[in-house]
Amino acid sequence: MNRRYLVRRLAQLPLTVAAILLAGFLLIHLAPGDPVVALAGQSGDAEYYAYLRAKFGLDKPLPTQLVIYAGNVLSGDLGTSYVLGRPVAEAIAERLPATVLLTGSALVLSTVVGISLGIYGARRHGRWPDTAVNLTALTVYAAPVFLIGQLVILGLALGAGWFPVEGMTDARSSVTGLPRLLDIAHHLALPALALTSQEVAAVARLSRVGLLDELRQDHIRTARAKGVAEGVVVRKHALRRALLPVVTVLGGRVGHLVAGAVIVEAVFGWPGLGRLLVTAMQNRDGPIVLGVFLLVAVTVVVANLLTDLLYSWLDPRVRYG
Amino acid sequence: MAGDRMVAVLAAATMALAACSSPEGDEGEQTPDADAGPPRGGTLVAAIDSDPGTLNPAITTSGGARTASELLFNGLVGLTSDLEPVPELAESWEVLEAGALYRFDLRDGVTWHDGEPFTSADVIFTFEEMLLSLHARTKASVGAALESIEAPDEDTVEFRFTEPYAPLLLQLDVTEAPILPRHVYEGTDVMTNPANTDPVGTGPFRLESYTPDAELRFSANPDYFEPDLPYLDEVVMRIIPERGNQVVALEAGEVDWLFGVPGPDLARLEESGDYGFLETAVNPGGSNCIMTVSFNLERPMFADVALRRALATALDREQFVERVLFGQGRVAEAPISSGIPFAHAPDLEEMPQFERDEAESLLDEAGWPRDGDGVRTARGVDGVPDGTPLQFGFTHFPSFSAYAELLRAQLREVGAEVKLVPLEPPVFADTVFKARDFDTNIISYCNGADPEIGVKRMYTTANIGPVPFSNAAAYSNPTVDAYFDEARTTVDPEARSDIYRRLQEQLVEDLPYFWIVETESVRAYYARCEGFGPAGHFATTAHCSS
Repeated sequence: MNRRYLVRRLAQLPLTVAAILLAGFLLIHLAPGDPVVALAGQSGDAEYYAYLRAKFGLDKPLPTQLVIYAGNVLSGDLGTSYVLGRPVAEAIAERLPATVLLTGSALVLSTVVGISLGIYGARRHGRWPDTAVNLTALTVYAAPVFLIGQLVILGLALGAGWFPVEGMTDARSSVTGLPRLLDIAHHLALPALALTSQEVAAVARLSRVGLLDELRQDHIRTARAKGVAEGVVVRKHALRRALLPVVTVLGGRVGHLVAGAVIVEAVFGWPGLGRLLVTAMQNRDGPIVLGVFLLVAVTVVVANLLTDLLYSWLDPRVRYG
Repeated sequence: MAGDRMVAVLAAATMALAACSSPEGDEGEQTPDADAGPPRGGTLVAAIDSDPGTLNPAITTSGGARTASELLFNGLVGLTSDLEPVPELAESWEVLEAGALYRFDLRDGVTWHDGEPFTSADVIFTFEEMLLSLHARTKASVGAALESIEAPDEDTVEFRFTEPYAPLLLQLDVTEAPILPRHVYEGTDVMTNPANTDPVGTGPFRLESYTPDAELRFSANPDYFEPDLPYLDEVVMRIIPERGNQVVALEAGEVDWLFGVPGPDLARLEESGDYGFLETAVNPGGSNCIMTVSFNLERPMFADVALRRALATALDREQFVERVLFGQGRVAEAPISSGIPFAHAPDLEEMPQFERDEAESLLDEAGWPRDGDGVRTARGVDGVPDGTPLQFGFTHFPSFSAYAELLRAQLREVGAEVKLVPLEPPVFADTVFKARDFDTNIISYCNGADPEIGVKRMYTTANIGPVPFSNAAAYSNPTVDAYFDEARTTVDPEARSDIYRRLQEQLVEDLPYFWIVETESVRAYYARCEGFGPAGHFATTAHCSS
């Protein structure tokens, strides 16, 4: 990877983010629906609605609103939520850790378990364990994440009673320190499992195919002919290149995980950004929606950049220019 | 002045207070041991639907904010389940000058959660800086009639109106007029004051912590002005967005109290025998709600009352109670909810009742004969070209699709073709009230505790306009406008009831809307807990056995 490429990619980042923000701004403001309705509920007079519109600057022409918003963002101010009455950055910061914990766990889990399953299937190619892994992966991949969420709640929480149904902590205890971390981990298990399930299936299938392909290569045959143990052949010689397709989709997977988190957070009452975004969209709370867009856009763009860097590290033949 | 005195000082204040604070009430409750009293202590976990955003109930009418914050505050008065005002921050009151002046004597010794004393200055500040400018309902009703609000001394508040104003006592509870501390808000932007998420109130519980989108933890206020209350040590509100998941959490023992149970889940919970239930028409966001079909009277087709009456006669409203509400409600007998007994007028002669054959003949007579077995078409209807099919749109929230499907099926039986138009709430409000681009719609109009709060906005000429959830039909009748004015200024309860009866007779004759069902919520709770109220201070008198 040469430095010029890296600089060029980094320079594209603000442009990409600006384009996403502009599209988001136009979408939220041109879509029908009035944010003031969410605040006023069922009642209110014309004066009250006018007061709120003026307060939020919604009475100004759209281009003026856009200029003001862009200026604020450039100076680091994401604005104030119409509904929450609080700075957007604050509302996002409060919920970000929960989402990072959930999506981060799911990303790590799906990568580790998915690759392991892929290796397991590839090494037993054509035999029944391979077919079983393949079929299970396909089935889970095809199932909507909310269905998986409900099934694990019914089976593992309500049925077996092993896990709590909802939330991030136990409502009836207010422990601190290590017991609190364990409590959070206990609550995290099911949402992370639901969010992981689809990703794990995708990773397992990709790594299995990549590995099968790699195991047919000449250099693998040479290694085997030299008497290298099969486990070492797979781990040291085949896996690195076999994982290229898995890495390729890493950036996209971050986007998938954030989208999946929106649903999983609603199903499990997990207090993250997904919940904030859904409520804000229902209420046409533009500043919050745009703030979350911004965060997700930056995350996905950075994840894609990291993917490219990782790609050239895994396969030194890959060069960008 | 004495001659003007309409109501004497509330002599039975202490009795009323006792009634208000009694933990007894709903059916199926245990009576606490008379000597030991109800068990004290413990934690109640309640599920709520959404993050409240703000915990200042004086600056919003959002239902979510009210549910989460009303345990923290008080109104000048409380309301019993029969809508009788009882003392809360005001110990007693007088209604003077034929109802144009209300004088409240405030309770002594009330302190805010931070220890500061509560005074009349807090009441004045809350009304002037918040309720009359930012609380949409109170601003629109009390604000429109109020001349001044004054505090002759620290313990007295006077509301003076430009003319007699009857409904005030029903508009001063914690839902319509919560009182907030002046010393916390004065000189700040009340919309962004940090106390909106870290509030200081006078209520039975204090906020311990608020984790957005996760939970709110409240602890009992040891200095609450009602002795021995609350019984619980702690209330935790868990934010669980899906009602179905709330039921699962109740069954898993993770929560103890639900503000609502979806109809299909209710039978299962009832069968288990582990839960208590409380049916109520009171909700934090609005009480006494009626699912109401609006006809857009600006559309030539619906300008004719004969068609409106025919369509109303074709609707079997019992089926809405059974199939849509799963029994959680009743057929609406009148334009004003039965939850406002003094204003509700049952047995209205002209109220359409389901009769399919009669509906068919009414449609024929209205100029909409059947075209073969299919959709009816216009013949000789004013403003409608002959041959126009009886087809129209029905705009509704997606969450009301069950109503829409059933209405379409019932009207198809009589030869009317309904096209469903589901719209998200903010889009619905724009389309119906601003663009007025609809034929018919359905809205849950919540009547509140007094017709001034949630009924008048649907019918008066002044409420035709772009304001959401006002007069959707664009109905205008000077007689009806006059009735509302008269009712507002008539303090005598019987005379006021009579005005509302005449008003409803007129509405039923004109049928700008059709009132389908009165909805109710069923609260569900673990049977080890009891003593709940329906909303607002629902947990003040609650107690749980260990």
